[in-house]
Amino acid sequence: MAVQNNAVKLKVNHIHKTYDGKVILGDISFEVMDGEFLAVLGLSGCGKTTLLRILIGLERQDSGTIYRGGEEISSLAPDKRGMGIVFQNYALFPNMTVLGNVEYALKRKKETAATARKTAVHTLEQLGMGEHLDKKPRQLSGGQQQRVAIARTLAMKPDIILLDEPISALDVTNREIMKRELKEIQKKFHTTMIFITHEQEEAFYLADRIMVMSEGRIEQLDTPERIFSHPANAYVEEFVVAHLEQKYQSLLRCTGRMEKRGGH
Amino acid sequence: MKKRKWTAVRVLIIVFLLISVIFPLVGVMTHISLEDAKKIVSSESFGSVVLHSLAVTGIATVISVALAFVLAWCLNRTGIKGKGIFAVLFTVPMLIPSVSHGTGLVLLLGDNGLLTNMLGIRVNLYGYLGMVAGWVLYSFPVAFLMLMDSFQYEDYTAYEAAQVLGLGKWEQFRTITVPNLKKTLISTVFATFTLIFTDYGVPLVVGGKVMTLSLYMYREVVGLLDFSKGAIIGILLLIPAVAAFLMDLRNDDGGNVSTVTRQYVIGKNRKRDAAAYAVCAAVVVAVCLPIGAFAFLSVVKQYPIDLSFSLDHIGEAFLLGVGRYLENSLAMALATSFLGVAVIYFTAYLTARSRKTFTTMTLHLISMISLAIPGIVLGLSYVLFFKSTFFYGTILMLILVNTIHFFASPYLMAYNSLCKFNENLEDVSETLGIGKLRMLLDVYLPCTRKTVVEMFSYIFVNCMVTISAVSFLANFRDMPLALLIPRFDSQSLVEATALIALVILAVNGIMKLAVFVLERRMEDPEKGKS
Repeated sequence: MAVQNNAVKLKVNHIHKTYDGKVILGDISFEVMDGEFLAVLGLSGCGKTTLLRILIGLERQDSGTIYRGGEEISSLAPDKRGMGIVFQNYALFPNMTVLGNVEYALKRKKETAATARKTAVHTLEQLGMGEHLDKKPRQLSGGQQQRVAIARTLAMKPDIILLDEPISALDVTNREIMKRELKEIQKKFHTTMIFITHEQEEAFYLADRIMVMSEGRIEQLDTPERIFSHPANAYVEEFVVAHLEQKYQSLLRCTGRMEKRGGH
Repeated sequence: MKKRKWTAVRVLIIVFLLISVIFPLVGVMTHISLEDAKKIVSSESFGSVVLHSLAVTGIATVISVALAFVLAWCLNRTGIKGKGIFAVLFTVPMLIPSVSHGTGLVLLLGDNGLLTNMLGIRVNLYGYLGMVAGWVLYSFPVAFLMLMDSFQYEDYTAYEAAQVLGLGKWEQFRTITVPNLKKTLISTVFATFTLIFTDYGVPLVVGGKVMTLSLYMYREVVGLLDFSKGAIIGILLLIPAVAAFLMDLRNDDGGNVSTVTRQYVIGKNRKRDAAAYAVCAAVVVAVCLPIGAFAFLSVVKQYPIDLSFSLDHIGEAFLLGVGRYLENSLAMALATSFLGVAVIYFTAYLTARSRKTFTTMTLHLISMISLAIPGIVLGLSYVLFFKSTFFYGTILMLILVNTIHFFASPYLMAYNSLCKFNENLEDVSETLGIGKLRMLLDVYLPCTRKTVVEMFSYIFVNCMVTISAVSFLANFRDMPLALLIPRFDSQSLVEATALIALVILAVNGIMKLAVFVLERRMEDPEKGKS
């Protein structure tokens, strides 16, 4: 567990959101610890992306409060909340180079050109993108583009990074590589991360704690081990435990067959 | 606060468009007197005017769209060479005013026309024949461009499936090509019909004794200053345009999404290619003949008596003010293009890159409405609405009316380009603290330079050739060059009208060439590398 201390980094109190009379988020409350990797797991339409957008201020909640550290940030503009976001589709500036993409926001933050350049290059190098500084996004693979998007966010030194299904658009091989890298990045930069996913395996691999959501509610928030051993209700049992067990069983069957073959 | 500012900007643009589009149109409606309407409808000639208009427009539309379809097919489904050049040549008629298509025909096939004398033929040009021929030349390039686009978005896998099922070429055409192009074909028919129905340039020159609604309106307003009658006819002219607009709106299913998984593969077929060459060459000849005639008549001493080379007509034309009016046209076209691109691009940015709220949707709808307003109706509405303002009768009025008249197409160009960007760019920029204006200047504009150039060229070329919206608004001093053609035509200054067409063609040709060079330069040398 990468949690650094017991300080609460993010506190969400009774967030409620409706669209056209339909409840999207119903009275959501939770805490995220400093340096923690929290995965928000749920099917599409369960409200996880809306939650993320509310946390960073791209959408407003109907009621409820959000605290970062001890400071209330519920009504601050997105760029004043000390958070960064990485999207599934990278959202890089297509006309700028890799370096330009990372540098641009830093310059707009009134950093001097020299400092911005230094920070951008340093961050990109740490993410293994040092050789691609002058390339345009379209010249990069999906995984590389995602690294640039992460570097762009990291360079701004946010307290919390929100990741909206950041590896779903990648192919299977790159997805595995990126999963490992995300863990390393978190360790290297000591950031608190909130990761949205609909893939049970991803959540179990990456997260210190998992928040299972369904229909705008939190079904369970606990460590992967506890969720597996003590699912809070039938939904978690079915959606998480049964799903993983089924996969595990089929894997076992495969391995069993392989062993038999090997035995001949 | 920032969000409020942007909402205020949106509201401001809506107000601008209300004043310059909606209110003038409502003004036209209020100008109609029931008595006049009764008088017009019950007059003897009215029925025949409507009938002639519908008949001749219908015939020209069918021929024009059929020709455009054949040409688009030749360039997309055959193995002929020089497709790029053919495509450019097919659109040359768009670079001259509609009225010049009439004069071109007169110069070739009129009583003393070049072909009439050379081949010893005599055709009864004035009337249906002349109008249909003139309008086909005027409108087929528009239909051609619309259909070309659709042909390119056809998926070959359907044809492969048909081949596996053993369907013949004709069956494939009937069951795949036609249904695929049906929507575009219907839109093209409506757009072409509207274009022809509302044009008075061609019938003014070759209409003979046949009167059409658009010409009737032009005569009533320009000749007799009868605005009430003009307004009634204007409303009638609006009908097909509004119908086309509503239908396109209903058919709009986000046409940007391409489902092409495999490009069409053109097989070898010599006979087919030979036929395609023949059709394309014939059309190129038909397009070039009037231009050749313009050039020839401008540089011979006196056709048909003295065919020696002379620059007298050019000198005379400039003495008559061609140079001055060209300056007017250039000033108006350039000013409209700059103003138009700025306002239209910014409007498209607001609608394409903002959340779909009531304000942005309203703005989007009003921005497209100019598609449904024929130029002469817009011109008349401006006369009635802005008559007592300080800038009525100035070049500013012409710039404003042209900006609105040519608003929708460049708006859609910008809108479609801007919609293609990543949907999360605004979210990212907002979280990084990058403002909307900075995004516009630093990301969107640099990425869409080509679109901006195309918008500029579209507005410029149309301003140079238009004779519709400006015809009621321009005074003799500030009027653009194209409006000189009907004047010279009525004074039988044949050579001068030929020269004007040539001058406008040359200016627009230079603009198109400049755009081509500029776009080539804009192509990113890194593109394609990986």
